[in-house]
Amino acid sequence: MTETRPALNDHDFMKALLNLLIPPSASRELPGAGALGLETAVAAALQDDPSLGPMVEAGALAVREAALAEHPEGLPAMAPEAGTKVVEAQLTAHPFLMMGLLRYLYPAYYQHPQVLEGIGEPPRPPFPEGFDVEATDAELLEKLLARRRT
Amino acid sequence: MPNEPVGVLVIGAGASGAAFAWSIADTGMSVLCLDQGPWMKQQDYPSNGLDWEARGMGDFSPSPNVRGLAADYPINEEQSEISPLMFNAVGGSTILWAAHFPRLTPRDFRSKSEDGVGEDWPIDYQTLEPYFALNDRMMGVSGLAGDPAYPYHEPPLPPLRFGKTGNTLASGFEKLGWHWWPSDSAILSREYEGRAACINLGPCLSGCAQGAKASTDITYWPVAQRKGVQVRTGCRVREITVGADGMAEGVLYYDPEGQLQEQKAEIVVLACNGIGTPRLLLNSVSKQHPDGLANSSGLVGKNLMFHPYAAITGIFAEPLHGRRGPVGCSFWSHEFYRTDRSRGFVRGYSFEAVRGLGPAQSALSGMIQGLVPWGEDHHRAFDRFYDHTASLLAITEDLAEETNTVTLDPELTDSHGIPAPKVSYRLSENSRKMLAHAVERGKEALMAAGAVETFAQPLFREAGWHLMGTARMGRDPSTSVVNEWGQAHDVKNLFIVDGSVFVTAGAVNPTSTIQANALYVADSIKKNIETLFDPA
Repeated sequence: MTETRPALNDHDFMKALLNLLIPPSASRELPGAGALGLETAVAAALQDDPSLGPMVEAGALAVREAALAEHPEGLPAMAPEAGTKVVEAQLTAHPFLMMGLLRYLYPAYYQHPQVLEGIGEPPRPPFPEGFDVEATDAELLEKLLARRRT
Repeated sequence: MPNEPVGVLVIGAGASGAAFAWSIADTGMSVLCLDQGPWMKQQDYPSNGLDWEARGMGDFSPSPNVRGLAADYPINEEQSEISPLMFNAVGGSTILWAAHFPRLTPRDFRSKSEDGVGEDWPIDYQTLEPYFALNDRMMGVSGLAGDPAYPYHEPPLPPLRFGKTGNTLASGFEKLGWHWWPSDSAILSREYEGRAACINLGPCLSGCAQGAKASTDITYWPVAQRKGVQVRTGCRVREITVGADGMAEGVLYYDPEGQLQEQKAEIVVLACNGIGTPRLLLNSVSKQHPDGLANSSGLVGKNLMFHPYAAITGIFAEPLHGRRGPVGCSFWSHEFYRTDRSRGFVRGYSFEAVRGLGPAQSALSGMIQGLVPWGEDHHRAFDRFYDHTASLLAITEDLAEETNTVTLDPELTDSHGIPAPKVSYRLSENSRKMLAHAVERGKEALMAAGAVETFAQPLFREAGWHLMGTARMGRDPSTSVVNEWGQAHDVKNLFIVDGSVFVTAGAVNPTSTIQANALYVADSIKKNIETLFDPA
């Protein structure tokens, strides 16, 4: 079976692919990237990127075709181990696939409130609350100034 | 309707243009500044949103080639080992800088006398000293008096908090007995001149939404405007025009509607940075100046200096809360600043302690280093990496070479059809050796600070912030473009006040020195106004 849609616009396929790149954490505190609805934003960012976008689309197409050759329903229906093998098999022919996907997936994933909470960060922008930081080590500073005095 | 002629026309509203315009307004002359960018709004900066890291790599990227905004011009950097970075807006690159604020050291002004390399400046540290101090007050500088690497000076505000990252890294330097000192930072540690103290947002490099970081749109410009200086935004200068007497008459520029306008002025001042300034001079060709304006020496666009950077990172067992706080402003080290020929290179480098990255940039950095994989092991590796890194940046002194150049690209143009700059830059063998030395010493310091693992980028390509040397100052018109007052040798009413005039680069961030020099040039004009255009 051959799909004709661009792979980056194939939502089910992209969800499955993103979930292989960032699966749920073992404790399930952190969701898989495919569960956060990031596929549209990642695809749009790649399609706006004239250098990475075409390379990632070509690589993703190859992955989708290879997955369909293994399973009639393709990557979404495959177990993670089997799906990972399919992806890895395409990386030599498509060396920019991972770099291109992760360039846009990581910023999208690590700005999601659920993920920020999961990694121990407050799910808010830096401004306006800001953060506290530890004061300068007074003992260290005193050593420095003492050395300066001598 | 033609524009009214002005007394002083400043091109570029960044670090140097703002300082110069503020000072020259004391003369009572009409002062106008043209900038190709807009006024920025703090509510538009990325740290207002959860997508702050993504935007820092997109519309707030330091690379004009990545941003591609209307205010930007493209740069052909295919033949450069370092990517030039800048921001085009009122405030210029101070919008996106780290505000790490060291001065050049006294020895940086006399590298030829000291070490037999480069050239000596026609001015020295002492000449600039009062202007450094004035500029520190205008920008709002935090720091600690007494650094033995410098003549004594007192920053107006106490130093910023180190945070756990700075404390950890400083302990390594202290253990090794190496020089370190709390940085001078153009970031407020206390409320100052109506601006609040820093609340440690973290993403200084994509604009300070709070206004604690100095950028000239919120420091110099409001005061300059109160003195009557006008700023016209969205105006891109195409060329400087000259009269039959060879003096600058004014400029031709594109207004925000894309219409070509003429602006006449008695004095024209270039503050467009080390790439924008030679680009404009080279594009200002006339019968009297067939090779570009102020270019009888042939040196406009030559001797381009960056600061080649190495980034050395340690992974620590304990969390360091590194994304919190000003990114680059805890301490510096001049341990390896001076020449020691036994190291195999001349001149030296400084270290700047920097804090950690946000989660997205940590993941990307971990990917590039092969330390954070995709797939099943991602979370475990990320957990070990994120919030557990601290870095040292080695800022090495670049020596001027005529083969490192800014020229006009024969094909690439900006949105107005003006030729884009082409940067040709190769790292010298001296710089390579220096970077290699810095990587090893940086790793040593990180291990002494308790790192469990280190890695390095021996040449940080995306670090071409500091653009210097392309219209250098000197007393001899055959070996320099401007004199010791920033006045073009060839065109008496043309001045340059940005980093183009640097004779040497030193091994520290240049903005403090660029601004001090701009204030000095303005003062020199004020003091010599009666005889300014007399023949030499």
